[in-house]
Amino acid sequence: MTSIPSQRQADAPRAMVTVRGLHKRFGHLEVLKGIDTEVNESEVVCVIGPSGSGKSTFLRCLNFLEKFDAGTVTICGHDLTSSSTNLNLVRRDVGMVFQSFNVFPHMKVLDNITLAPMKVSKVPRAEARDRAIALLEKVGLVDKADVYPSKLSGGQQQRVAIARALAMQPKVMLFDEPTSALDPETVGEVLTVMKALAEEGMTMLVVTHEMGFAREVADRVLFMDHGLIIEEGAPADIFDTPKHERTQAFLSKVL
Amino acid sequence: MFDFGQFMPPLLRGAVLTIFLLVTSGILGTLIGLIFGIARSSSIRVVRWVASIYVNFIRGIPILIILLFIYFALPLMFPTVTFSQGVTAIAGLSIYAGAYMAEIFRGSIAAIPRGQSEAAEALGMHYLQKMRYVILPQAMKIAVPPAIGFLIALVKASSLVSVIGYTDLTRAGRIITSQNHLPLNTYVVVAALYFVISYPISLLGRWYERRLT
Repeated sequence: MTSIPSQRQADAPRAMVTVRGLHKRFGHLEVLKGIDTEVNESEVVCVIGPSGSGKSTFLRCLNFLEKFDAGTVTICGHDLTSSSTNLNLVRRDVGMVFQSFNVFPHMKVLDNITLAPMKVSKVPRAEARDRAIALLEKVGLVDKADVYPSKLSGGQQQRVAIARALAMQPKVMLFDEPTSALDPETVGEVLTVMKALAEEGMTMLVVTHEMGFAREVADRVLFMDHGLIIEEGAPADIFDTPKHERTQAFLSKVL
Repeated sequence: MFDFGQFMPPLLRGAVLTIFLLVTSGILGTLIGLIFGIARSSSIRVVRWVASIYVNFIRGIPILIILLFIYFALPLMFPTVTFSQGVTAIAGLSIYAGAYMAEIFRGSIAAIPRGQSEAAEALGMHYLQKMRYVILPQAMKIAVPPAIGFLIALVKASSLVSVIGYTDLTRAGRIITSQNHLPLNTYVVVAALYFVISYPISLLGRWYERRLT
């Protein structure tokens, strides 16, 4: 072996998310039965699986919107299980996009995007505004800056929600079925924005039913069922030669 | 005949005192209601519990009893504590209004979808930021119509302060009828003045609802 240790360390992928033995129960129902995985910097991981498999709950545990019962989650260097961790600091580093958009209806699009940077990160108004305009350009909605969200289509609202999350300059982005509530004709515009984000090197975890997106954009696909990761691997392996019979059964229904 | 020159000034003075009472107890009641409405929406059980005791207790007893209690009973329990008629009237109505406003605010906060709260939290906002910038601005809009409805009811409830001797519009009318022995004329004027106070509030509510649509 001739490689220099320090060189190897620099080249080794940096884990942005590390999950060990994650358990979560709602009452008597155990929805996560021990999840172990890692997501490296700039990696795009898609989580697929039948509804009720625990995919969304798993994602929501990563920014502690959902408390978990056992296991550890380390995200962007923050240990979520440590009592000294300030959850609000963690969440500044972790952007989240929801199935139901959850844009703020009482604020214009621009104010939706500048709110958190100004109030949470204390970014000056002018800078927050510039950042918001740049993000609106990126998601193709710069002409909607002074419009209220109720005037926008679902796809446009979701793109605002993505811009809002990006305005905090997160290190990891979590997408919880971002296109499941959209009309079919607006799904594409949201996926295009997400794909561009992935190409820029954003670390992304995407819970999705869009198998085309997962195949094309993901570096790795996790198949979950009944609260466990049943199978994981490169998209081609998962979609073309799934090893586990439950993966095969699921894919035969959705593809 | 009803001598307007003689009897209108005391009636108008009573109306002004009624308006003063409504403005002060309306503002104080809204503030109390906001605090207890937020407390009733709290995730901390003890806070929720304390707030719900206040709300349910006050809503369960007549405003008349609240006024009589503050004015006559409190000084018996604590001899150093005595309140003037004005302070009693304002305190009584504020405590009463606070309980109802708290229910209105609690309901309005509960009407905001959970996703709004989650989105604010996911952006790193702490509780106060979330309430201040995301939840309350939306809840306030929902609260306005029922709050206006309650305010109109408060105009009428305020007439009960006459029993502790606060010279509001109702008591001014009673004093005058004892002098002029013209209850019909006097109470028609009193009723008209109450209408003049409460109708603009209804108009305000209608204007607000039209603005929303």
